[in-house]
Amino acid sequence: MKIVTGVVGNDIHVVANRLIDISLQSRGFEVFNLGVNTYLEEFIDAVIETDSKVLIISSLNGEAEGWCRELHKYKNHDSLKDVIFIIGGNLSVGEGDESLIVPKFKEYGFDLVFHQVDLMDGLEQIELYVKDRFKL
Amino acid sequence: MSLLQRDRELIVANEFCEEFDFEETKEFVKNASKNLFISHKFKTNKGKTLVQPRGGFPTYDKMFALYGEFAKVGVDIFPMTIDSNTRLNDYASAKKMLELSQKENTDFLNGYPLVNHGYKKTREMITHFDTPISLRHGTPDARLLVDMAIASGAFEIEGGPITYILPYSKNFPQDKAFLYWKHVERVTAEYSKLNEPINRESFGPLTATLVPPVITIVIQIAEMLLSLEEGVKSFSVSFAQTGSLNQDLVMGKVIRKSAQKYAEQIGCGDATINLVYHQWMGAFPRDKFKSDSLIDMGAMIAGMVGADKIITKTRAEAFGIPTKEDNGQAVKNVKYILETLRGVPNFVDEEEEENLTREVDEIFEAIFNDKADTLWRKIFNSIKNGIIDVPFSPHVINNNELITVRDNASNIRIYKKGKLPISEKSFKYEQSKLNLGENPNSVVNQIIKDIGVML
Repeated sequence: MKIVTGVVGNDIHVVANRLIDISLQSRGFEVFNLGVNTYLEEFIDAVIETDSKVLIISSLNGEAEGWCRELHKYKNHDSLKDVIFIIGGNLSVGEGDESLIVPKFKEYGFDLVFHQVDLMDGLEQIELYVKDRFKL
Repeated sequence: MSLLQRDRELIVANEFCEEFDFEETKEFVKNASKNLFISHKFKTNKGKTLVQPRGGFPTYDKMFALYGEFAKVGVDIFPMTIDSNTRLNDYASAKKMLELSQKENTDFLNGYPLVNHGYKKTREMITHFDTPISLRHGTPDARLLVDMAIASGAFEIEGGPITYILPYSKNFPQDKAFLYWKHVERVTAEYSKLNEPINRESFGPLTATLVPPVITIVIQIAEMLLSLEEGVKSFSVSFAQTGSLNQDLVMGKVIRKSAQKYAEQIGCGDATINLVYHQWMGAFPRDKFKSDSLIDMGAMIAGMVGADKIITKTRAEAFGIPTKEDNGQAVKNVKYILETLRGVPNFVDEEEEENLTREVDEIFEAIFNDKADTLWRKIFNSIKNGIIDVPFSPHVINNNELITVRDNASNIRIYKKGKLPISEKSFKYEQSKLNLGENPNSVVNQIIKDIGVML
């Protein structure tokens, strides 16, 4: 199963990105890691190009909302019909209220949203969700 | 006119750069006080660890006040840290932010915008304090900055084509960086003929995240060779506190010996090679008393390593840019430890030293065997094909297959070697120290723990 991942916007925090890459590989996924400093268009292009069924966007500097709020505009593309869209990290500048942030990002078109969730817990949930959705 | 000189004249014709007088600058360097040359200070203070804090402020007045504080607490080498806009050659933004900083008396830049201030004015400050200045920046294309720095009287230039790219940039073309830095080395070498040599220093901490000693040493020596082959006569290799006392001491020995060996191998054995130690560059505790202890420990290790210079941190590290008082306090602590630490025992760990030396040699053998015709191309190809691989580099060219974790004694070990051309024997030695079990996710958990080892 192929997964595209990376850090969105002008965010250069690389450590968690590398850990996500290593952990996804060890969970048996084929990972296309676009690294830090990636724009939404680039993520979408990579999903189409690699024919991946999962996109995991991460963000640490809190600026994800501005970069991702137009996801719907891209989602209409035919080949993205079955793709699972996931976002996680620090999804707001400052503390942020999870009960407000999660529904907001779901409205933007994300299937799974993780705000300040432990990295390994989040990846565990992603693995279960993906395997369930695709009956693996 | 030489090609180099033609390039320099084009570069200083930048609209943000003042009128640059090469002849006058040459005279200045020729007649400059010996006290401004760190290379001279290294020579006259042999066996002593010189202390250099970090720091840079946007306005001339704040920079002057910072240096005043440093002079008061007896700092040996003053830093001149450059702001992030200048590092990206964006002098227009630096200019705007400098004007705002002056008008509103708030810092809108994280360092000193040297190009905007200009060398004539900056030289007044530097000659006033009559202490060596070290240029700290992170600039991929530092051609203008370095001519400005030397004209100002800053006779040490940090950085290099690998250490200022792989840890800092995602997309800056690595091959361009090699060529821009070749220019810097040539300018440095030219000025070095006039008086005491200008010192070049490489940035050993890299990503400061579980970088194994062999990678640090290989990159330090690679940058040193690129510098010496252009005629630089004084060079500092450096590394940061690894989090393992044992590994720090072993590294100190191996990097000195190997650097000398490879310098001689390319016929540059006459250059002076210095060793610089960075206090812990990873995540700092938020408890300021713990930070003080960590800083003290780093100072003590620098003394045991026999470093020629230590670069200090402050207790404010976890919270942002330190004040001049934070810096002053850290320097006092570090100097106290270095002055009272006498009679350091001679530490030997033959097995570790042998293994690390062999790993360094194995990687250099692969680099030198690359089919390219020049050293910078050999090194460039080696980065491209993963012979050199820096953990947690954000750069697209980095191979990202090398995985490291700490062993029970906190030594950084190679768990997955990726395309590192180390022998079976070397890799087995690394593996023999690890005991991670079968669950692959335990590696990720271990890495998370290892990164936060000082918290």
